[in-house]
This record gives sequence, C-alpha cells and structure tokens, in this order.
Amino acid sequence: MSLLERLRRGHLSDQQFARLWTSGERHPHLDACAGCRARFAEFDAWLLDVGETLRIEADEVFPVERLAAQQAQIARRLETLERPARVIAFPKAARAVISGNSHVRRWVTVAAAASLIAGFGLGQIVPLRSVIITQQAAAPNPHFNAPVAVDRARELTPVNPSPADDELLLSDAFASPKVKNLSALDDMTPHARDYVSRPK
Amino acid sequence: MVVNASARAAYSMSGTSPALVAAREADAAAASAVKAHQTAGDLEDARQRYAELVARHQRRAARIAYHYLRDSAEADEATQDAFVKAYQHLGSFREELPFDVWFTRILINGCLDRIKARTRRERWLVPMAGTRRTGGGADGTAAERDITDRVAAGGASPEQALLGRERRRQIATALAKLPERQRSVFVLSHVEGRTSREVSALTGLNESTVRVHLFRAIRKLRALLASDTAVAAPGELKGKRRVTS
Repeated sequence: MSLLERLRRGHLSDQQFARLWTSGERHPHLDACAGCRARFAEFDAWLLDVGETLRIEADEVFPVERLAAQQAQIARRLETLERPARVIAFPKAARAVISGNSHVRRWVTVAAAASLIAGFGLGQIVPLRSVIITQQAAAPNPHFNAPVAVDRARELTPVNPSPADDELLLSDAFASPKVKNLSALDDMTPHARDYVSRPK
Repeated sequence: MVVNASARAAYSMSGTSPALVAAREADAAAASAVKAHQTAGDLEDARQRYAELVARHQRRAARIAYHYLRDSAEADEATQDAFVKAYQHLGSFREELPFDVWFTRILINGCLDRIKARTRRERWLVPMAGTRRTGGGADGTAAERDITDRVAAGGASPEQALLGRERRRQIATALAKLPERQRSVFVLSHVEGRTSREVSALTGLNESTVRVHLFRAIRKLRALLASDTAVAAPGELKGKRRVTS
C-alpha cells in the first residue's frame, strides 16, 4: 500500500502507530480497518523484537558465570566495608623530614621575611647612614681628640718592673707631693707616714 | 484491537502486573530486614539478606548499565558500585517507594557520572587505531564465542547465528545514535518494561515528557533501522513490511 493510497483512505502512518503505542490510546480507525490493524500488530512485534534483541545482547555479555562472579565481588566489597582499613606507619626517618611544628616554623619564617622586607623598605625610605654621618660631621666629640691622645701615649715611658721599683714606690707614698698646687691640700690630709713614724 | 495482547500487558505503559507487585513486596520486606539488621549491628545477617536483593536485581541492573555505557567492564563496575552504595545508604530508603525504582535511580546516576568522566577523559586522549568504542564492540569476543557455543550446543545454525548477530549489531548501532534521553527512556521502557510513570520516577522527567521522548525514540529507531536494512541486507527482513512515514 503506497503512502498516497494510505493518505487517501485515511490509513494510519508509522508515526501515528508510534504515538498510539506510546500513549496506549485506541484509535477508532484500527477497529474498522483490517489492514491498519495488521500493520499495527507488525509494528508492535517489531518494537518487541527490538527490546528482546537488546535484552539478548546484554545477557550475552553478562552470562550466569559472570553474574555469579559479580555477586561474589559485591559480597566481598560489603564485607570490606565493615573492617576498618589498616594504616601502615611510615619509617621515622622519612617522617622527620616533614615533622615538627610546621606552623610554628612557618610563622617564624614569615616573621623573618617580613622583618627583612620591612627593614629594607625602611632603609630605602629613611637614609639613616647619611643622617648619622652628617650629625657626626656637624658636632665632633669634645672629650675625644685623637691627635692629643696619641701624643700623650708617646710621652709615656715603659717601666721595667723590679724589686727596687717597689721600694721606690713605697718611698714615693711616704714622700710629700711634688705638685705645688696640691701641697695645701696635702697638709690638711693625715698621712700614713705620720702613723708609721709615731712611737708606740 | 488485535495486537500482541500478552506482550502489551507485560509492557503496559500504565498498569503494574501482579507479579511485579509481589516482587516489590518481597523487595520491601528484604530491605526492611536488612535495615533492621544494620541497626541492630548484625552485619553478617544484613549482608545475607541483602544478597537476596542483589540476586533479584543483578541481571536487570547489568543490562541497564550495559545499555548506558556500552562497555561490559565498566557496566560491571557500575553495577557493583550501585549495589554497594545502595547497601550503605539503605537507611535513607523510604519504604513507600519501590526498592527497584530507588536502586535504579542510584545505578543511572552512577552510569551518567561515568559517561561524564569518560567524555572528559576522551577529550584529552588521542584515540589509537582499532580501539574506537563502537556499540558492543568491546564485547566482540563474547559475540564470537556465541556462534561456536550455539553450534556446539546444537542450537541455531551458524548462518542464523550470524544473521542474529548482525541484527543485534544494527539495533545497537541505531540505539547508540539516539540522543541520551531518548535512549534512556527507550531502554527503560522497552528493554526493562517500565511504565512511563516509573520511567518518570527513574529519570526525573515529567511523565508526558517521557512519552514524547519515547515516541521520538521509536520514530527515529524505525527510520534508522529501515534505512540500515534497506542498504545492508534487503532480503533479510522479507515478509516484514517497512513503511516510511
């Protein structure tokens, strides 16, 4: 039966069959037309055949033995779920490399880096060295004069320590001062020699 | 209406057969028992009862996973994962919902995740010659073994086996050409015999949307298989009238 003839007689198309099959509705034309009924039965058989073929294909891929193996595998996996996993400890040496208070170390590192950066930045902003040099140049130290100190050091003569020097030192201690300015002050001050020479 | 009445009843789009009702009651009882054992801490008994559920739904699950993934190893893994996940989350299973619907939802989600992961993976991999994934191609050995097995068992002749295999290949290729939703709806409706309401619950689609997808899938499959048959083997389907709409 050609398409034109089917349309002329109001027969149902494949699309309408598909719609009827999907919705489960009943078309009045099917009751009246034996040809369309036969075609619909064929369509129905074709669909069932497709479904059956796909089922067979999948069942061939999963034969009974494979399903049994799958079931055993599922049972094993379920059993494994109940047992907690065993943790294998790593050797200590390997752990020491990454152990310790890593967060403390991290903070120290960060603080050091921050200080370095801050110091560097501050150094760039404030020219501290030039300020210090300028200040030193502007106000020299009045208590310190390097050339004078060098001269005084040269005047000093080295002393050779000997037993005679000790006696000389003692006699010096009992002698009167050689500086005139201090003789008045020396007179007012009690001396050791007075106590030593006094009779007991 | 003279149609295949028994088949129509089995694949009815609206009703539920008494056998299915009984099976669902058994599922609900088993699921409740497993939950009770899990709560009581009798894990050995829980696993034993759960094995019943696995045995009852395993084949169907493997079929669905295979038609989604088109790879037997991956389908095997997806099925196992779904059963393990269902066991772990059985506490959240509401008993007013059929167990098979709840479980199939888990399985389909797992399959979709795998498809996504595979798509991502394949985006970065250069396909090697001869390893292209075709419909059922990964299981060519099973199909080849099939012929020898049948001949040895005194079943269909090698010719019939070859024709059958060719037919399965054609249907699988045509099915693979359908958009994902149409394919899902078709597989669940026609291969697993689900009602449109169940397919709606399984896929999260509206019931009327399910019907539309199913209608389109059938129409497209019909066209694809008709053109395939006309080109590849004109004499094979002698006696079956092909009408182009």
